[in-house]
Amino acid sequence: MDDKGTLSDLDKRIIEAFVVFDHASSNTVDVREVGTIIRSLGCCPSEAEIQEILVAVEDEETSGSVRLDRFLLIVSHIIQERRLQPASPEKLLKAFLTLDRDGKGYLTKEFLSKIMMEEGEPFTHEELDEMMGAAIDGETGNIPYEYYINQLMWFATGWKTSC
Amino acid sequence: MADNEKRKRLVYRERDGEVTVVEKTKKSFFSKLSPRNLFRSCKGSKKTEFSMPKVERRDDGAAAEGIQIHASKSGRQPGKGGFQTRYIIPRLPHSCYMPCPPHPPWLDHSNYTWRRVQVMKTVGIAIRYGLDFRGVEFEFLQEQDISPLHLVQIGSGGQLTSNKMGSGGYSGMKRKADNYCRGQQYRQKQKKLRGFSPQMNYTDRATAACRRTMKAAILIQRWYRRYLARMEVRRRYTWTIFQSIEYAGEQDQLKLYNFFNALLTHMPDATVKPPGSEISSKSSSIDTVDQKYEDESEDGSLQSVDGGYKGIHISFPLTRDDLDALIDTFRKKKQQRLHAKYVAGILKEAALQLKRLPNLNQASTAISKQITICGDLHGKLDDLLVIFHKNGLPSTENPYVFNGDFVDRGKKGLEVFLLLLACLLAFPGGVFLNRGNHEDHIMNARYGFIREVKTKYKHNAERLLRLIERVYRWLPLGTVVNNKVLVVHGGISDITDLDWVRNLDRHKYVSLLRPPVTESSAPGAELIDKLEWKQVFDILWSDPQPGDGCIPNSLRGAGTYFGPDVTDKFLQKYKLLYLIRSHECKPEGYEITHSSKSGVPTSKNPEDSSQVSVEATEWVLLYLSLGHDRTLLTARLKCAGAPSCMYSILSSITHLLNVSGRMLVITIFSASNYYEVGSNKGAYVKLVGPQLAPHFVQFTTATPRTKKLTFRQRVGLVESSAIRELSGQILARRDQLLEEFLKYDPEQTGMISLSQWCTAMEEQTRLGIPWRMLREKLVTLDPSTGKVEYYSTFQEHTNSRRLSGTTVVETLYRNKSSLEAIFRIIDKDNSGYISMEEFSDACALLGEHLPQIPPEQLVDICRSMDINKDGLVDLNEFLETFRLVDMGHEDRPDGDDSSPDEDTNRLE
Repeated sequence: MDDKGTLSDLDKRIIEAFVVFDHASSNTVDVREVGTIIRSLGCCPSEAEIQEILVAVEDEETSGSVRLDRFLLIVSHIIQERRLQPASPEKLLKAFLTLDRDGKGYLTKEFLSKIMMEEGEPFTHEELDEMMGAAIDGETGNIPYEYYINQLMWFATGWKTSC
Repeated sequence: MADNEKRKRLVYRERDGEVTVVEKTKKSFFSKLSPRNLFRSCKGSKKTEFSMPKVERRDDGAAAEGIQIHASKSGRQPGKGGFQTRYIIPRLPHSCYMPCPPHPPWLDHSNYTWRRVQVMKTVGIAIRYGLDFRGVEFEFLQEQDISPLHLVQIGSGGQLTSNKMGSGGYSGMKRKADNYCRGQQYRQKQKKLRGFSPQMNYTDRATAACRRTMKAAILIQRWYRRYLARMEVRRRYTWTIFQSIEYAGEQDQLKLYNFFNALLTHMPDATVKPPGSEISSKSSSIDTVDQKYEDESEDGSLQSVDGGYKGIHISFPLTRDDLDALIDTFRKKKQQRLHAKYVAGILKEAALQLKRLPNLNQASTAISKQITICGDLHGKLDDLLVIFHKNGLPSTENPYVFNGDFVDRGKKGLEVFLLLLACLLAFPGGVFLNRGNHEDHIMNARYGFIREVKTKYKHNAERLLRLIERVYRWLPLGTVVNNKVLVVHGGISDITDLDWVRNLDRHKYVSLLRPPVTESSAPGAELIDKLEWKQVFDILWSDPQPGDGCIPNSLRGAGTYFGPDVTDKFLQKYKLLYLIRSHECKPEGYEITHSSKSGVPTSKNPEDSSQVSVEATEWVLLYLSLGHDRTLLTARLKCAGAPSCMYSILSSITHLLNVSGRMLVITIFSASNYYEVGSNKGAYVKLVGPQLAPHFVQFTTATPRTKKLTFRQRVGLVESSAIRELSGQILARRDQLLEEFLKYDPEQTGMISLSQWCTAMEEQTRLGIPWRMLREKLVTLDPSTGKVEYYSTFQEHTNSRRLSGTTVVETLYRNKSSLEAIFRIIDKDNSGYISMEEFSDACALLGEHLPQIPPEQLVDICRSMDINKDGLVDLNEFLETFRLVDMGHEDRPDGDDSSPDEDTNRLE
């Protein structure tokens, strides 16, 4: 940690992401931010997995905060081992296809909302509203999911080239 | 105690490894149940397996930190064949990360969702009752119609007394719950549930379909959450860019400190003396100013309302009707400008009114029972109007404290300022104004207020600015509410002494950037005690810091950072509850810092909690406990159209915050969209009741444009604006950066590694922003090697302002704001031109500090600056001259950027 020369590029990336959330420059972040940081690093954990990471990284003395050294250790490990990698776009498409039981090529707003709010790790209303805002086709009011995946992918590919 | 034993037992079990499950069934399937196992089994995939490091923290008894939630599937006692799942929630409410239990296959979906909700509600209830929830044990049952209240069980501490629980008390309710469980309905349900054997037939078609759906949902949700997280990061670093650049600007302004010092010390009349007045002594010049205003009654331009004026007419003393008329005039898009006469009238009256006030306003909520505090407005009239709209106009029953920084940056600083002053005049007991660091002539010179006044009142600007100056000087420095809460613009420092502040003469601080005068070199200049000046300065300029102690603020270059210990001592000394300050823009419009960890939960306010609608509170807690942002919650409730619940909701947030420690410093910032549309919310805080419990209300001034934007668009908008700003900063340092890059690239390949690029950028700009993340926005990367083509750093960015990449423009860009500020200062009569006299005045005083310049040379300099030879130097000419001179000095080592020195160069 002290010797900056020994830090790998990955470490530096993690540190930088961490620092964005370290408002007090005290090498700590709030536990609530951990999920966002990990996800922004390209990982794709579920809420439950985040919870598990949290337990591992949370500072013992000052609960509620996470120290950089510990975070770095654990998260770089995760990334190096290529855990929590995002599923391929094909899988994402498959997921949508699963939901689209009739094979219409789109999902209705109501149906997707219901699934997202009730299944798995339910979305909050904000998350849902945001998602719908971007996903809904203005003309039909439905979600043409292939198009939507492309939108999401646009970010994902941007990410990959930058890694 | 039985409770303690219970806890011990839990700790012991946890030490054995599996933390979360107490297993009571003989069936082997259940013995493997933990949230993680469940999750895995649900997903049926081992690829995503994540092995959880062993949780050591439980060993030291820290388990008591968490909440144990019993999920008893059956109502039977543990050990009698049912099973129990205990979830540990590490900490509440801030990190209530309920390990999201995966969907056990034998539960139907609705039930599952409900269960999760119910846990949260239960936890919420406990918090609502002001419990120290650490070590609290909750038990919940699946039956929907049992109120969560019934299910609260106190594991330890026993803070929850029976009377708080309602008529039946805890035991009564527990009994009720138990009875219920044993009831007919329950047995039926059990029967139904038993229909699914634990060794479920996974090939069962319906279940399989369910599982597929859920897997699909989880996958989509994970993807989407990652996407959101990346947007959030962009939003955050954008924020960093804006803030860094903002503070860098303040630093520049402070670098001009010495220059201003010289100007103000040696030209005491620069800001107060009307041109032509020959009085030089400062104190007497003030009298003259007073005199002058009275004399102005004969002065035509300010007084006579010319025939063409179609605007409103107001009369003094101001009444409510006048105020309404003013608001109406100001809010109109194509406003008829208020006649200069009335502007001057308001300013004059306000100065007289303010003069009577003590240095620290004494506000009381004896009549009103509540008081509203607003932070920086920065010329955002819309925000002020939104506040008035939401919260009502100020009056004795609805008092307001406006905590400084009314002007600068925003477009309608003058309107905001006038409106506030008008409110003050119309409702003397209903408005308290504090001085902020922008209520300062020198800050105005840089941050736009002076320009604004000049554009709006071309002919009277100079007089009005003098009046404004005078109002500034009489603005009180802070407000004390009920002797319990101190409201000041910046904060405190370790030397802040309220008694001293109360007794000093605030009127003499024309500008706070004016440093103390230690030697009375200027005739009649008042001696300003350095310590006294620091008292005032700290109040207006300080920021809180998380660490203890008091250190100079390196980011702003002025004021101090004060730590929690400083706050604590201060509050104790003056027996204050907490401190409210503004001065910093916060994404949420407010922020609470310096919570005392040892503080007692303050949710004891019975009056307050009675007002809290249980439903609303549960809502809030539910949301919070699900790990969501307060702001989202607020927004959500707004959508739900629940204005009446608003207060209770916000107060419960306050409760929550209180539970984790008493808040000591509140930052409140009322200018929404401060950096850019969508960058931040505005907020105001209402102190309610005898306890002055703070209730925060957030708002965003909605323009039709922002309403429709999705999160992504909003982020994109703010981001491109930030990048644009940043490009400006980068271009300004082109030469230094290039030099730095070449150091890493001795062979001039044009490529350096990413790390080197980041280091170089930070080395030169010192902005402390995440360069690595920004790389795609700022430079071109070689796709094969991943190296940075560093010349691309200076290329025009798609969204950025079109700048020709020449050194001249960069230099100009770099110093423009500083130069403009200097220009405004030299231009004493605010004419927009520097006359020969003004220039020689400035040179004369500079001469006192610098090597003497022969007067004939001065004339030469001034003439040479006057490019179009009209006998006056306007701003463009001034900048142009500087540019030319700077070019001539380019070969000089550019050690110090501060303009006074460069100014010196020029004069030499």
